[in-house]
Amino acid sequence: MNTNLPAIAGIGSVTPLGATAGLLSDFDIAPQPIAAWPNATLRRAYQVQPFNPAKLVPGAKTRRLDRLSCWALVAASLALQDAGLDLDAMDRSRVAVLFASGFGCLELTESFYRSAALNGWSGTDPITFPETLANAPACHVALFHGLRGPNLTLGGENFAAEIALLRAASLLRHGQADRAIVIAGDALSPAVYQWYETAGLLSPACFVSDPPARTASFVPSEGVAAVLLESAAKTERKIYAQFTGGCYARSGDPAQAIRDLFSSAPAMVFPAGDGTPCSSDPPAEVFRSLAGQAFEGQSFSRNDARIVASLPVADGLPRSGGLFHLLLALSRRPGSGPALMLGTAAGGAFAALRLEVPSS
Amino acid sequence: MTILDPAKTIAVTAIGVVSPYGLGSAALEAGLLAGKSCLAPATDLFPGFTGHVARVASLPAIAEVERYSRSDRLAMAAAEDACAGLPRELLRQSGIVMATTVAGLTEIEPEIAIDPAAWYAQAGLARAATYPISRVAASVGEHLGIEGPACAVSVACASGAIALALAANMLLDGEVPLALAGGSDALSAFTASGFHSLQALDPAPCRPFDKSRQGLNLGEGAAVLVLETLAHARSRGAEVLALLRGWGMSNDAYHPTAPDTEGKGLASAIRLAMEMAGTGIDEIGYVNAHGTGTPLNDVAETRCYELVFRGRSAPIPVSSTKSYFGHCLGAAGALEAAITILAMRSSALLPTLRLADPIDSPDVEYLRGAGRSQPLPAAMSVSAGFGGSNAALVFGRLDA
Repeated sequence: MNTNLPAIAGIGSVTPLGATAGLLSDFDIAPQPIAAWPNATLRRAYQVQPFNPAKLVPGAKTRRLDRLSCWALVAASLALQDAGLDLDAMDRSRVAVLFASGFGCLELTESFYRSAALNGWSGTDPITFPETLANAPACHVALFHGLRGPNLTLGGENFAAEIALLRAASLLRHGQADRAIVIAGDALSPAVYQWYETAGLLSPACFVSDPPARTASFVPSEGVAAVLLESAAKTERKIYAQFTGGCYARSGDPAQAIRDLFSSAPAMVFPAGDGTPCSSDPPAEVFRSLAGQAFEGQSFSRNDARIVASLPVADGLPRSGGLFHLLLALSRRPGSGPALMLGTAAGGAFAALRLEVPSS
Repeated sequence: MTILDPAKTIAVTAIGVVSPYGLGSAALEAGLLAGKSCLAPATDLFPGFTGHVARVASLPAIAEVERYSRSDRLAMAAAEDACAGLPRELLRQSGIVMATTVAGLTEIEPEIAIDPAAWYAQAGLARAATYPISRVAASVGEHLGIEGPACAVSVACASGAIALALAANMLLDGEVPLALAGGSDALSAFTASGFHSLQALDPAPCRPFDKSRQGLNLGEGAAVLVLETLAHARSRGAEVLALLRGWGMSNDAYHPTAPDTEGKGLASAIRLAMEMAGTGIDEIGYVNAHGTGTPLNDVAETRCYELVFRGRSAPIPVSSTKSYFGHCLGAAGALEAAITILAMRSSALLPTLRLADPIDSPDVEYLRGAGRSQPLPAAMSVSAGFGGSNAALVFGRLDA
């Protein structure tokens, strides 16, 4: 183990699978009828079920927060709990917070729009406005835990979570922080769900309780995953994985990018969702094709790589689902060794991250 | 200042700007040096809005205009301005880090929240698709044929400066040979309404750092800086406009909207940037301040400068160029970085407009009245935003 490289030392999540510190143990979930807003006919999604944040994070006051801010605060706090980190014993100005999202705080943004529709732009709510800003979730994490390091909110057309991981690792590498909490996710809203539906992107499983097998379309999901990154040299705790490199690009040659990251075929692959909700090829199949190109001429054969297939509950979280995919992959106890986390998207964009999973 | 390693030194080799002065950094520089205010009364943002704003009068025509928000188009124009003359292959490999807070909010109407299906039926899907913050960076990539990584930054009003810092990190990591970094935000009813509801707007032209200040004015614009390592710039014979010597980022962890009244968080970001730059307090010749004109910000910022610059041989010269064309939100940090470089290159200490009675401080010289000329080997741009985020950028002249 290279102790200079960042390690994932804590995990927290608020997803349709529940609010959890550490790895997940139950992945068996079906989409549920949407309860968060009224629908004339059946509409289904993978949804975060209501919970009491203060029970998980004592002292958390979340009543006025957007759901996404609330989940980010809880997931980050659970990651800190999981890591057993004593913030009182460290310099909080050396802890960074990075939040990645595709759409930001939709609940209160739509609420702000609603108040404008009903009262006019001169009658909007001053309490709501600051909570519509994209960086509100990261702000609340910093505020609650007193974290005074870099506080970044990032987005990406396809791979916001992967971008945040890479930027966090860069902050650590350059000594701009000692630790980084990386948080990624999104919340569903009526306008986003309706956008998907109008665009014809939704799976039949959104509309019927007994849908056909998984198709190229998707069931929308929501939730937030968080990881605590710190130098492996700094942690005496368990390490879920070491983060050893990666890249992302709008276009280019992903096979070459994989070759640049790995001298030989990785022991396992975590398809990280493709970043778009309507891929014609499941990510695992995309990888098989790419891996064949990347390691042609070596001892690699397509079946050597252990592909830890992603799950629909994470596929339904486009743009910001990378951390959720990673959490699901690690939760399935994939074994140890070098792992490739790979996302590809329509238009040629891709993200490839190299991880080292230790033996448990 | 000594350059230690050209491969680890960040150079600014081009600046693209769209500001209320027009397209290009020459228009920006001319407007600033002339002391021209672009602020004008706005009557058409929404009924009941009374205030001054600064607008960009016109933008270059583009194809498929419906796919792009006004923030996208501002960014595309600034990026095109910055990249004129760059080799196509180099541009293709470049990275993009673009800041925004507004993104496509300009294209969406309140009725979307009442009946989304009806609104999409009337307005189509494309307008709402401009909403994600990532669209600004993606639009620049599409417009210029860039295939490298594209990253969006949205850290309220510190966004633009943080975009430059992250791009510099990418270059030091060797991720890209060249990075386009900046910010873009359009005027929108959404943000104007938000600041109006918070009573943060001055109905008159703003007066940053004046004891009688009442708030901010909103503006719009975009700035994109071309960053590369000094070694890379030299290898291709590029003109070096300035060096980005240091950058620092911090968070107040104090309040969701109000700054730390003692300015400690901002001071931390400034010290980190100066430490990275290897500059002492006497070497910074000018600070382009965040200077919004709100009662809380300007006092907190003054306390911050006192924390950092106390003991300097003379008070630190500080001004807010938001007094010229308002607060451009996610673009502000990038625009003000560009202004800081232009000030350094023209040896111009830009005054804050309409500053009659500055906040008292023994450690700060609030520049006002006529501008003055003074060599500036190094200067700093400072940004802060809702959520407590702070950023500071230290620029230096290559020949200093």
